[in-house]
Amino acid sequence: MSRVRRLKLALWAIAGLAAAVGATRMLIGLGATSNLSDATPWGLWIGFDVMAGVALASGGFIITASVYIFKLERFHAVVRPAVLTAFLGYLAVVVGLLFDLGLPWNIWHMIVFWNPRSPLFEVGWCVMLYLTVLALEFFPVPAEQFSALARVRRVLLTWRLPLVIAGIGLSTLHQSSLGSLFLAMPYHLHPLWYSPWLPVLFLVSAVALGLQMVVLESHTTAYLYKRKPETGVLEGLAGPARWVLLLYLVLRFGDLAARGQLGRLAVAEWQVAMFWIEIAVMAALPVALFSLPGIRRGRAGQWAAAGLGVAGVVLNRVNVGGLAHTGRGDALYIPAWTEFAVSAGVVAGAGLAFLFCVERFAIWHERPADPDADPLKLPEFDKVGTTWLGAPAVADRTVYSMAFIIAAALGFAMLPSTAETTSRGVEPMAARGARGGEALWIDGNLDGTGVAFPHDLHKEREGGQSSCVKCHHMNLPRDRASRCAECHRDMWQPSDAFGHDRHASPTGGCLSCVQCHAADAPRSAASAKPCTACHRDLVPEGAARVVRQYDAAGYVQAMHGLCISCHTRVMAARKKPDLGRCATCHREPRAFVDAPDLAPRGRVGSSVVLPGGRAK
Amino acid sequence: MNAAILTDTTLCIGCNECALACKRVNRLEADLPRRWDLSDGLSARNWTSVVRGPGRTFVRKQCRHCLEPACAAACPVGALSRTASGAVVYDGDKCLGCRYCMMACPYNIPRYDWDQRVPYVRKCILCAERVETGGQPGCTEACPTKATIYGDRDALLTEAHRRLREEPRKYIDKVWGEDEIGGTSVLYISNVDLSFLAHGMALDRVPVPERTSLAMSAVPFAFTGVVAVMAGVNWLIERRMARQAEDRHE
Repeated sequence: MSRVRRLKLALWAIAGLAAAVGATRMLIGLGATSNLSDATPWGLWIGFDVMAGVALASGGFIITASVYIFKLERFHAVVRPAVLTAFLGYLAVVVGLLFDLGLPWNIWHMIVFWNPRSPLFEVGWCVMLYLTVLALEFFPVPAEQFSALARVRRVLLTWRLPLVIAGIGLSTLHQSSLGSLFLAMPYHLHPLWYSPWLPVLFLVSAVALGLQMVVLESHTTAYLYKRKPETGVLEGLAGPARWVLLLYLVLRFGDLAARGQLGRLAVAEWQVAMFWIEIAVMAALPVALFSLPGIRRGRAGQWAAAGLGVAGVVLNRVNVGGLAHTGRGDALYIPAWTEFAVSAGVVAGAGLAFLFCVERFAIWHERPADPDADPLKLPEFDKVGTTWLGAPAVADRTVYSMAFIIAAALGFAMLPSTAETTSRGVEPMAARGARGGEALWIDGNLDGTGVAFPHDLHKEREGGQSSCVKCHHMNLPRDRASRCAECHRDMWQPSDAFGHDRHASPTGGCLSCVQCHAADAPRSAASAKPCTACHRDLVPEGAARVVRQYDAAGYVQAMHGLCISCHTRVMAARKKPDLGRCATCHREPRAFVDAPDLAPRGRVGSSVVLPGGRAK
Repeated sequence: MNAAILTDTTLCIGCNECALACKRVNRLEADLPRRWDLSDGLSARNWTSVVRGPGRTFVRKQCRHCLEPACAAACPVGALSRTASGAVVYDGDKCLGCRYCMMACPYNIPRYDWDQRVPYVRKCILCAERVETGGQPGCTEACPTKATIYGDRDALLTEAHRRLREEPRKYIDKVWGEDEIGGTSVLYISNVDLSFLAHGMALDRVPVPERTSLAMSAVPFAFTGVVAVMAGVNWLIERRMARQAEDRHE
């Protein structure tokens, strides 16, 4: 298989996967098919598909300006590919946006409902208008193939200059207004990125990116079609790209200095690391590489430097678009595989459309040989199957279709079922407290060590549910539950968890009484040292097991449970609706509320290591 | 009259009657904890909640109904708007679902119907219909301790400052919402720092829409400027090229 055919096969497979995911997203909704949330309303689809997509399409207006306005005829060879990339790039942005919008069928609302104050309104209009301009700029190319369209083509060509100028104006506006979008987020976007100069920074980086994108694209297609790349022409783009990137670096750091944020560059935060990676990949490395004449003129050097620059701008747009936002809750957003699939699928679709145009229309001066056709082989008619065999193009299309269908089937199989996805997010929540739990971790001095209290056994022994009150209601106010010693007055008896005899007997600890109990006091639990005075960590090595840590109902829960359950019963029986209301008891403002000791102690639901003994 | 709410956190007992009334009045369905929820209890179906502030204070969280709302300035189709009464309301028939409002809100208030096939943005609308017919929002009506009260914004500001003056030791001397980001219709007085409602960021007085308005007002000039420069450059270069061609002929 040739390079192009292998690439097409891969692109069709990706598109198939994305088709399955995209269809499911439309049928089920955003929440089930993405990791977007109220904490990250914008994710990969905005950051990559829209923000980066628009930036990547900036080659169109840069090259048309160079050729048609500044009359730099040597770039004429790359005009058509640049315009085609821009056109397909914008189409991809619109398609990608359809998946991200909650109500994609309302996308036309921007035409009738106006809010000119909104930067997004401007972006929307610019995309619509510029897409039209690009379509009109590109249309003469396919129209060459059809004599019926010759008149339309002639008219469009006479209008080329105004179209080019309008395209430049529109691109300037909305490359920059994509930056303006984020001016509305001063409290969310990280200060290393938030700047009143965002629109300018976006525009300058888009210009640099447009130049590099043309370089990258030219080399990639040259590799695919074994075409000779326009290395000399591209060097003429790499040179200016270097100066624009330098300007960008000056603006970026000048802006940081002007806002007094340079000190932040040394802070140990992941955003700072991200900032340095972004600067290096997006500007510093490409500038350095393009400055070396050997690299600027060479094929591999051009390709590598432009590739870095393009990747860097994508990273920058993804950072500004949502990754480098703070203060939206502590949940970490990692895009779901479905989000990656849709984004990749949109790119794959645009790539396939690009290859289609390249093979059918005169994008370059000489069209590459159709890789699907073997000029030496004639198709032959198979009488048994009544089909034409041996036409490689047909055979390839079959393979591509199969790739698409198999990938789509795989996608549907990998997607969770409707029932699962619509209920996604509902997780069983661990009940607070030891109710029903086997053991309760009592950590009296809150130092992470303590004893296991067999809660279930106690409940059973004391008479089931009705016995809760024995510990949880006889306690003093604001105490969390009755202390063990309230019942276990004689802690040396065999029922204890302590093992008094074992400690006291000569074969056990070899300890005399006064080593634990104060010498001049009655020998009781009250006069004993805490266990942790000797057992610093209470977890003997090799005799540990992991149990679930529970938290007993505190005073508030116990009181609320006891009062409210009775109040609501009586409320229903006696038709006194106010009896169950909070304010019935909390009559004084904040009565009971400002009590000092209401914080639940211990860590609910975490696992801890307990001393060995009865294995579970 | 500018409809407003004043919440005094020192009076709140955390009974959640406001949240229940909100669900009743706005006919919001029951909610389950979902993957996309933030931890503040607000969701597409809970428009107000009682959260725990520092020192375990109860603080009612709801839309602040900014005087210059960032969400309304952000919405590309004007689905969010501020009514004459002061409520910031939402028109689902216009919405595209772009969620720029959620990104722009400094208080993270708007929530999304993530689980719906036809999702909308959801947030407190200050019971706009009840307010416009002379009533008051469900939450303030339900509050048993008058911790959250409804009234005209100026009157409530006077009341808030009166309380701060009379019991200066009880409160922090600040009315939250008086002038941050241009002022909000939902005001707070408290004995604890409430900046956690805006993720601890110190909000300045500049209304959020003002931060984009400079860039937006430059749009027509930028467009005309770029077009004029391009047309001019093109004209100059073409003239020079024509002259060079003439010279060559001669």
